[in-house]
Amino acid sequence: MKNVVIGRYIPGHSFLYHLDPRTKIMALLILMAAAFVVDDIMHLLIGLALVIGVLLIGKISIKRVYLGLRPLMFLLIFTFVFQVLFNRQGPVLYEETLYYSPITIGLVVLTVVFWGFTKKFIRFRLLYFLLMLFTILAILSLIQEPLTFRTGAFVVHEDGLRLAFFIMVRLIIIVTLSTILTITTKPTDLNLGLEQILKPLKLVRINAEEVAMIISISLRYIPTLLDEANKIMLAQASRGVDFEEGKLKEKVVQIVSLLVPMFIISFKRSDELANAMEARSFVPGQPRTRLHVLKWKLNDSIIIVFSLTILITTIMARVLI
Amino acid sequence: MAIKFERVSFQYKGIDNKGYLALSDVNLQIDKEGEFITLIGETGSGKSTLAQHMNALIQPTEGRISLFGLKIDSTTKKKKKIKLNPIRKKVGLVFQFPEYQLFEETVEKDIMFGPKNFGMSTEDAKRKAEEMIEVVGLHKDYLSRSPFNLSGGEKKRVSIAGILAMEPDILILDEPTSGLDPLGRNALLEVFHRIHTTLNKTVIIITHDMNTVYQYAKRVLVMREGVLVYDGDPLKLFSRGNIDKWNLDVPDILSLTRDLETSFNITLSPPPRTRQDLFKALEEALS
Repeated sequence: MKNVVIGRYIPGHSFLYHLDPRTKIMALLILMAAAFVVDDIMHLLIGLALVIGVLLIGKISIKRVYLGLRPLMFLLIFTFVFQVLFNRQGPVLYEETLYYSPITIGLVVLTVVFWGFTKKFIRFRLLYFLLMLFTILAILSLIQEPLTFRTGAFVVHEDGLRLAFFIMVRLIIIVTLSTILTITTKPTDLNLGLEQILKPLKLVRINAEEVAMIISISLRYIPTLLDEANKIMLAQASRGVDFEEGKLKEKVVQIVSLLVPMFIISFKRSDELANAMEARSFVPGQPRTRLHVLKWKLNDSIIIVFSLTILITTIMARVLI
Repeated sequence: MAIKFERVSFQYKGIDNKGYLALSDVNLQIDKEGEFITLIGETGSGKSTLAQHMNALIQPTEGRISLFGLKIDSTTKKKKKIKLNPIRKKVGLVFQFPEYQLFEETVEKDIMFGPKNFGMSTEDAKRKAEEMIEVVGLHKDYLSRSPFNLSGGEKKRVSIAGILAMEPDILILDEPTSGLDPLGRNALLEVFHRIHTTLNKTVIIITHDMNTVYQYAKRVLVMREGVLVYDGDPLKLFSRGNIDKWNLDVPDILSLTRDLETSFNITLSPPPRTRQDLFKALEEALS
């Protein structure tokens, strides 16, 4: 639980920390747009290299960002596998006949069951999962015998593979960029930046200040709530709840025993937060002065120009090539 | 020995992977029976972490713990075969904030939750709930109420009843009297004392109240920055010079005794631990 990096500020010193939050938010949006515009895998990889460059220059440990990506790993792998299996466009890269027979299907089921039982003891679960998929493929394609009642084909199309890889890299870039923003920006600064950027929304009767406040409070409370959840789990474990085991019915009780205190504590917390804010004369919608006023520096302009250059280049690349 | 710590250290993983040493090199032995221990120390000195080791909620990063014969070290968590759950029935731990555990619709169900998790039948658990609600000083009517409509002190009592109903061999309470009024606090401390004397169970109380320490404890543990700096008799602790250094203060009864001793030029021996004892000793000394 402690490894969740998204939304958590980590103190440090580098040029990223000293940028105006507005710059960082705008640069994030621009670069995300660029990542969506790119349609060439080489360009996207260049983008990834640039992102890693930013991490290195910004002295953000790549390990931390990787830890933040880990919860998304399942999603990444899933989209990858899905794309490879079901995308049927473009030239065929690889083709293999699959033989379905009672024996091969039985073996596949055995493999899955074996994987299900042994995955707990394996450290690199993702690799193990891939190994399982590979084994299933091998069984279906290699064992050929008279009982075969149906043959199928495993086809990898170029587009499928490319798109799968593409989506994966794109997701990694986007998540890494947003992680950089939250790691290097204090929630209060983020709030301020968002507020300033969303100010024009006043024209459509949306109060940017409130929206910014809601967003920043939510971000701020993610780690706190995780800590709370951890404490509740310990307290319930003290009363004999074994969160790692149990049948379905017990699981339901376990989750309820975690969620109910979670809700109660969250409501209580928000109540207290509201009181604390009001005690310091916070009135929603009222104009407020700032202790820290954002100052636009040269560095900020450079970053914005740089980001815009990247966006324009990607658009040009797409239009021209 | 029910609980035995051997060179136990525990490191929290913090931001930037900088570890925070919450316990360092703690050696400790606690009996299953007959001990009344208070655990004191500043906020953040590792008291709660120490307590959470005692029922295997967390495992040491270094060193070994033996809990009722079950060996626990840094590798325990990975071994699926080792069942930690039974330990939590033997060592009941009441958390500081009742909000972290109350979740059922009624107080009764909430008290029954722990016992039922450890395999007690519904009828027995019900009987236990009825018994324990009175033990902690609440009327039986409370059983049908929702735990969320209670006052802070009442919630606290319900959460304590929930652990007592599990019939643990050793009872650990993390600041059980914080947020209670003085009367309620004394009543609850008497409850713990009674559990200790009548059932001869070991009770461990984490507290900031030196009066509790002095009045009830047979043994006191002082934590400071993760190190167990004192383990022994409370009177000796308060007679030593360095309690200021540990951010502790002298219990009211003891400082009163000392004042009386100097102003009347008498010695009260053994030093009285309760108000009644003080009155009695004073009467004897002055007559």
